[in-house]
Formats: sequence, C-alpha cells, structure tokens
Amino acid sequence: MELLTNPLSLLVLLPAAAGLLLLAVPRDNEAALKGFTLGATLLTLLVSLKLYAGFDAAGAGMQFRLDLPWLPAYGINYALGIDGISLLLIMLTALLMPAAVLASFSCIKEAQRAYYICLLLLEASMIGVFAALDLFLFYVFWEGMLIPMYFLIGVWGGPRRVYAALKFFIYTMAGSVLMLAAILWVAAAHHAQTGAWTFFMPALYAGAITPDTQFWLFAAFALAFAVKVPLFPFHTWLPDAHVEAPTAGSVLLAGVLLKMGVYGYLRLAVPLFPAAAAAFAPWLAGLGVFGVVYASLVAWSQKDIKKMVAYSSVAHLGLVVLGIMVFEPAAAAGAVLQMVNHGLSTGALFLLVGVLYERRHTRMMDDYGGLAKVMPGFSAVFMLVTLASIGLPGLNGFVGEALILFGSFRVYPWLAGAAVAGVVLSAVYMLGMYQQVVFGPLRHEENRLLPDLSAREWLYLLPLVLFMVLIGVWPAPFLKRLAPAVNNYIVLARPQPAAPALELKNEQ
Amino acid sequence: MNSEPFAYAANALSGPLLLLLAAFACLLAPLFFRALRGTQGAIALSAVLIVLAFLRRAPLVEISCFNGALLLTPASAYLWAFAFAVLAAVILLSLARPPAEEDSGGEYYFLLFMATLGLAALIAAGDLFTAFIALELLSLPLYALAGIRRSKPGLEAAYKYFMLGAFGSALTVLGIALLNAVYPDLAFAALMQAGAPDTLALAGFVLVIAGFAFKTALVPFHMWVPDAYEGAPTQISAFMGAAVKAGGVIVLWRLFRIFEFGPVREIFWWLAAVTAVAANLMALAQTGLKRLLAYSSIAHAGYLTVAFFGGQRGFEAVLYYLPVYAMATIGAFAVVLALEKGEKGPAIEDLAGLARTRPWLAAAMAAFMFSLAGVPPLAGFFAKFFAFSAAVNSGYTGLVVVAVLMSAVSMYYYLKVTVAMYMKPPAAAQAYPAPGAVEAVVFLMAAGVMLTGVFARPLLALAAEASRWF
Repeated sequence: MELLTNPLSLLVLLPAAAGLLLLAVPRDNEAALKGFTLGATLLTLLVSLKLYAGFDAAGAGMQFRLDLPWLPAYGINYALGIDGISLLLIMLTALLMPAAVLASFSCIKEAQRAYYICLLLLEASMIGVFAALDLFLFYVFWEGMLIPMYFLIGVWGGPRRVYAALKFFIYTMAGSVLMLAAILWVAAAHHAQTGAWTFFMPALYAGAITPDTQFWLFAAFALAFAVKVPLFPFHTWLPDAHVEAPTAGSVLLAGVLLKMGVYGYLRLAVPLFPAAAAAFAPWLAGLGVFGVVYASLVAWSQKDIKKMVAYSSVAHLGLVVLGIMVFEPAAAAGAVLQMVNHGLSTGALFLLVGVLYERRHTRMMDDYGGLAKVMPGFSAVFMLVTLASIGLPGLNGFVGEALILFGSFRVYPWLAGAAVAGVVLSAVYMLGMYQQVVFGPLRHEENRLLPDLSAREWLYLLPLVLFMVLIGVWPAPFLKRLAPAVNNYIVLARPQPAAPALELKNEQ
Repeated sequence: MNSEPFAYAANALSGPLLLLLAAFACLLAPLFFRALRGTQGAIALSAVLIVLAFLRRAPLVEISCFNGALLLTPASAYLWAFAFAVLAAVILLSLARPPAEEDSGGEYYFLLFMATLGLAALIAAGDLFTAFIALELLSLPLYALAGIRRSKPGLEAAYKYFMLGAFGSALTVLGIALLNAVYPDLAFAALMQAGAPDTLALAGFVLVIAGFAFKTALVPFHMWVPDAYEGAPTQISAFMGAAVKAGGVIVLWRLFRIFEFGPVREIFWWLAAVTAVAANLMALAQTGLKRLLAYSSIAHAGYLTVAFFGGQRGFEAVLYYLPVYAMATIGAFAVVLALEKGEKGPAIEDLAGLARTRPWLAAAMAAFMFSLAGVPPLAGFFAKFFAFSAAVNSGYTGLVVVAVLMSAVSMYYYLKVTVAMYMKPPAAAQAYPAPGAVEAVVFLMAAGVMLTGVFARPLLALAAEASRWF
C-alpha cells in the first residue's frame, strides 16, 4: 500500500499505470486518448506540487523515503527518496510533460494510442531515474527509458528517423553497459567489505575503494553520463536525435533526458568515487567549456532552427558540467538551477519551432522572416524565450549562468573566462536567428497568412514563460531548497582520508 | 530408504515413463487403429499436460536411482519441469502448424518425446557414461527431426547437424575412454574428489568438454547451428534453442566445477569470451530471421558460460537465465512460425510494417528482442544482471566487460528487427489467418518475459534452491 500512499512512488507509478490503462481505450477514439493522457500528466503535475509543498527546505537528508524489498537475495530494494536537486528536476519533468502532450495533439496523426503510451512510460522512467536511491533501480529506469524514446524518434520522427533512433539507442546503450559492469563491481566490493549485498546509494558512498580502482570505475560511470549530457566529443548523437524527433520528443530529450547525465554525476559518479572525481574534474570541466565554445560556433553556422537549438543545448550543458566539476557551492547550485532553466527555455524553444513547423513544414531560417507582423503573439513569446536562453538579467538563464561563472572563477579562472566567451557567442547566434526569423521584411508570400498562436499553444507556452520570469526575478525559493543538497554534494565530493585499501579477489 | 523420498522418486520417474508410453502410443496406435490417425498431436499434448499437472516439489535430498546413474534432486526437478514445459509449448506449436506432411505417421511426436527423455536423463545424469548415452538419446531423434520435412533445406540441415554432431559425439566418447583409463569411477561426484588431473585425464576432460560444447553451440563448435536452425522446422528450431542448449549447459557446468583453477578454467574463459565476441559479430550480417536467432542463441550460450565463473551464485543465475532465455526464444520462433511461408522462414525485411498489420504480434516480438538484448525492464536484463553480477563478484571483471560490450553490439541486430516492424511500411496488404494456438504461445511467452523480470522473486527463489543441488 505504501507503493501508492508515498507521493514519490505514486509519481513513478501513476504515469506507468496510466500508460497501461491507455490500452483499454479504443484505438480510434482520438478525443478519449488525448484527454486521458493529458489528464494523467496533469494529475502527475498535481502530485508533484504536493511533493513540493511537503518538501522540507532545510532538511539535509533524503525525503519521502520509501524502502520496499524487491530482490532481497541481491540486496535490491525499491528505494526512493529525493533531495532538493531531484525535487527540482522532478518538478521540471512534471511541468514539461503536459506541454509536450498538448503540443502533440495537432502534429501526431498516426498510431496515436501507441504514441501516448510511449510518452507516459517515458515520463514514469524519467521520474524514476530522479527518484531512485537504489543503484539497480536507477539503472532499470535509466535504460528502460530508452525503449519509449527509441520508438518516439523512430516511429513518429522526421525523414531520417530510423538512423537517428538507432544512433540514439546504440550510443546510449554502449555508454551505459560499462557502467553496469562498474555498478556490479561496486556492489561486489561492498559485499566483500561488509558481507552484505546492497545497492543502496548512500550505503555505497562510504565504500573504501583504492584510487587506482576508482579511476576505472569513475571512467565507466563518467562515460555513460558524458554520452547522455552530452559532453564533447560524445555529443554526435544529439543533433540527429533532436532534429528527427517529433516536437514532444525533442522537448523531453532536451528538457529532461540530458539532465539525467548531469544528475548522474551529481548523484553517483562523484560521490561514489571522490578521489577519482577530483582527478577527472579539470578534464571534464575542460571538455565542458570546450563544448560551450565549439557547440556555439557550430550553432552559429546552422541554417535549420531546430538544429541550432540542439547545438545550443550542447553549449548550455557544457556550462552546467563546468558548474558541477568545480565543487563550489555557488557553482553547483547555479548548475542545478541552470538545468531547470535550460529545460524551460530550450523546451519552450523546441515547442516554438514545432509551432512554426506545423504551419509551414520547414525549419529553415531562410523560409521565414518578418513574422513579427503576422504573428505578434508568437514573436513576443519567442523573444522572451530567446532572451531567457541567452541569459538576459531578469530572466532565469542569467541567474544560473552568473552563479556558475562566479563559482568557477575562483577555481578555474581561465576556463570560466573561456565559458564567458561561449555565453557571448550564444547571444550572437540566438539573436541572429531571431532577427532572421521574426524581423525584416516579409520575404515569402506563404508566410503572410500564418495564424498566430492558438489558445492551446498559449496554454502550454504560458506556464513555461511564467516560470522563466519567476526564476529570473525571485530564484530564492528554489535556491533555498537546493542548498542542503548541494552542500551534501560538496562534502561527498571531498576525497576521504586514505581508507583501508580493498581489492576484489578471486573467491577461491 | 525413507518412504518420502521413495514416494517422490516414484512420482518423479513416472513422468518420463508416461512420456515414454505416450511416445509409443503416438507411434503405434495410429498404425493399428485407423480412427486414431491424426490424433497423435492431441495424445502427445495431453500426455505432457498430465505430466506437468502432476509435478511435485522435490524434497530437499538427493535421491540416487539405478546405482547413481540418475540423481533426483530439486535441481533436476526444476530442470525437468522446464524441459516438459518447453516440450508442451513445442507440441502446441506443432499442433497448430503441422511440421511434417499430413500422411506421415506419429514419428514426429515419437522423436520429440524421445529427445525430451534424453534431455531429462542428461539433466539428471550422475556419471559421464549416463550423460553420454542420454546425449545420444537426445541427439539422434533431433537429427531426424531436423530433416523430417524431407525437403532440400531440411535434409541439408539434418545432414550438417548429423555430421558435426557425430563428430562431437566421437570426441566425447574418446574423452570418456581416456578418462576411464585414469579414473575407474566416472561419477561426477567421484571426479570432483579425484584431485588434479594428469596429462591423460586432462586430455580426456578437454575432449569431453569439446563434445558438449558442440551441443551447447559455443564458438568454435557452433558451425552447425545456423544451418540447422534455418533448415529445421521452426518448431524444432525452438526446441533446439530452448531445451537442447539447457542440457549441454548443465553437463558443462558439472565439468566446470570440477576445476577450481588450471587450464580447464582457462579453456572455459576463452570459450566464453570468443563465443560472445564471434557470435555477436557474425549475427550483425544476418538477413534471415531464423539465422539471426541462431546466432543470438550462440551468443547467449556465451553469456551462460560467463555466469559459470560466478560459482554457486553464477549457477543460480544460469538456472534463472535458462527459462527466461527459453521464453524469448520460443516466443520469437513462434512469431517466425506465424509469419513463415517458405521453408527457410521469413527474412528480417519480411517483417516490414508488422506493427500496422498485426500490432500485437509486433509488440510481442519487440518484447522478445528487447529481452534477448537485455534491456530493462524485461526479464532478459535481469538474467544478464544476475549472471554478470556473480562473475564480477568472483573477480572475473574482464570477462564481464567483454560480455557487456558485446551485448551492446548485439543491440544493433535486435533493433534491426524492431526497425523493420515499426519503422518500415508494410509491403502489401495480405490476409492473415485468425489467431490460434501459435498466437497463444506468443502471448504467453510475451507475458513471461515482461513479468518474470520485475517479479523475478519466485523464479529466482526456485532457481536458488535448485542451484544448491549440483
């Protein structure tokens, strides 16, 4: 019964159950399918608000804990719990989901039931990743999420969808299988040390593993997360997947899935192997910053709006990785906040691109221009989102970027300096794109009759815009909830004093 | 003798005995009673169902029958139940789509029963001689079954299977002879206590292992598998993939655990690594669905061998792995059966658009593919997790790294099937027969791979209990 009374567990199970229940709705009853899915995601959002209300901002430990035995012989539990970091990411997921569903109403025409089932199962596994405190459970959600996303891209995507879906799946899977081996090693090392099997993350944090071993284990975890983030040079799957995915798929890919990689560093890779993390941190931070500059330059040269937004994601996430790899409270808090910001602004950008694509079936900047006259509402929202994305003070992006840069200047002044250059570049390409699409003369006759945002489109864009402004002017409630979790992370990231060495040996 | 084990032994042995009777009934009854012609399938199915219905939980003792030739333990009970369940599924498939010509007698079911009896004996064998005889009892009917359609691909499959199988049997016999020259007692328990083998005995062990590696289809003893799976009737391919492999794995495990270290372990290490690498790489190039499943079955034999290195815990994983793998394989072959028109089964391309034309069948097939690939939350992931976890725990991380990397490679060819089903348009509108027994098997197996993962506890508990008795 606790499975359902615990709001966190309910959040995981509700979308999954809704997805299965959708099978009972007749295949061709479109209205019922849409209504049911929207209802389920709204209900999930409601439960997540309850989570927010019940969350103790000052509490240092994991909250809403649930611990049910699953496979006791292996010490595997259905263990859930959240701190401030996971709280914000779960809220973000729950908020983006109804928007993604609403945006799908008009653009998905085929096999609707299967589509909405995939969306709901995806939501369940995304929330599961952020809520899991058991390493095994985490991995199940982490990998399980690939199946619905694979189908979303591959079945309802653009012209090169099969290639993009396969690339997405195989890249992510190849990155994560080594993490599976590392997870097994960590659990076995814990078993050898204490005689008990467990996959409970906090219990494994304290494990004493020699720095040499940590190096390899961290490398295995870091690879899995680097593919997901995606860090340069593991990012090549992302433009393909983003461009080919349907609007809702892009929104969730950019908004939530990429955050799982960063979340993995915060929750697993760094706390489990602090010594190795300290050694890897400058390199990862360097890769992050290189990604900021590189992806910004690539984005600058794009002609396809969606592709440009995809590359801008790589740049933003690079900055976030810099933030978490300097182990400074301000930078880490900024990084987590920036993840939420990026989810909101890039999510909104993909939604807006979807709005354009639905009207004109093209995403090329050259095909637009002068939209300010025909679509004033759209242009206003687009303006605000663009500005939020480049970090204009007063909007959410600024708060996160500023915190990351302030925090990291103290540790890596040169890297932070280079990152600033990247941020400036983002203004260049984003504003350039905005200008080309919205301002100027109306170059194409077809664009003269484009309708402005419909009520449904306003409905899913407004909440995102609202939060962008809210976080921009008043980030305190979010930062307050983050503080204990971030401090925890900083403490865990400090390499422990030399612990008794432990090596796995042959049992014989 | 205590009466409870005795009663159990009587009950347990009556199962194979009933199957033996049913086998002869299938073979002979239609010859003498014209009215019974064409009912062999029904007789066979009811016999298996009766046996399955009367299965009992074994007492926690080892019962030695026939001077130790057969050992009845909870482990053998577990695997017998598994073998009979596979048999039931295969009979169901054969009833729905008769593999042999209508006018042929009951030899199909007779041979199937004989093979299953051989498998049952192989599982429970207490010494190497019994294991060899059981192996022959298992193999000979299968050679005939592979070619029962008497068509060209079928005969080719039977011929290849027979030639290589006979070669494997010869190796086994030679190995047993060498071993017998050194050890007077060839019971597995006695071999365990025999101490480090000298050169002659080592040669014997290597030959025996090679012989059983043929049956299990470990690389480089796998050459017969793709042709045999492709040419044999699909029902028999399913039986070979699911059940015959289990027999080989069990004997290999018994041989494996005699050695705690030394060259034999190294041989197993290389067999596992080479099998995982080679099978997955070769599978990438396949275009025929049955050949793909054949290479996939070779790859899984490699993963099973990796699990050996986990010791007791690894064997527990093997016992969980076998039914999970069997469900996905039988299910996939049942899908093949539902779609096949020619002798060799459909190509992967032929599945194009299956999600449109037969969405439920496509969904089930996708579940089998993801389970075989080891993607959570399907059961195949749990099986791999348990298997690899045990091996890592014993310090064989390198081997596990090879295996997990290769399962990432395997993703590609399993995904190819889902790409065809979901992301390609259907070739042409065609009429499909109404769902029947084949579809029932498909959905039963699909439910199995979806549920035994997340709800692994009961099956895992049974496997854990059984694994202690080897």
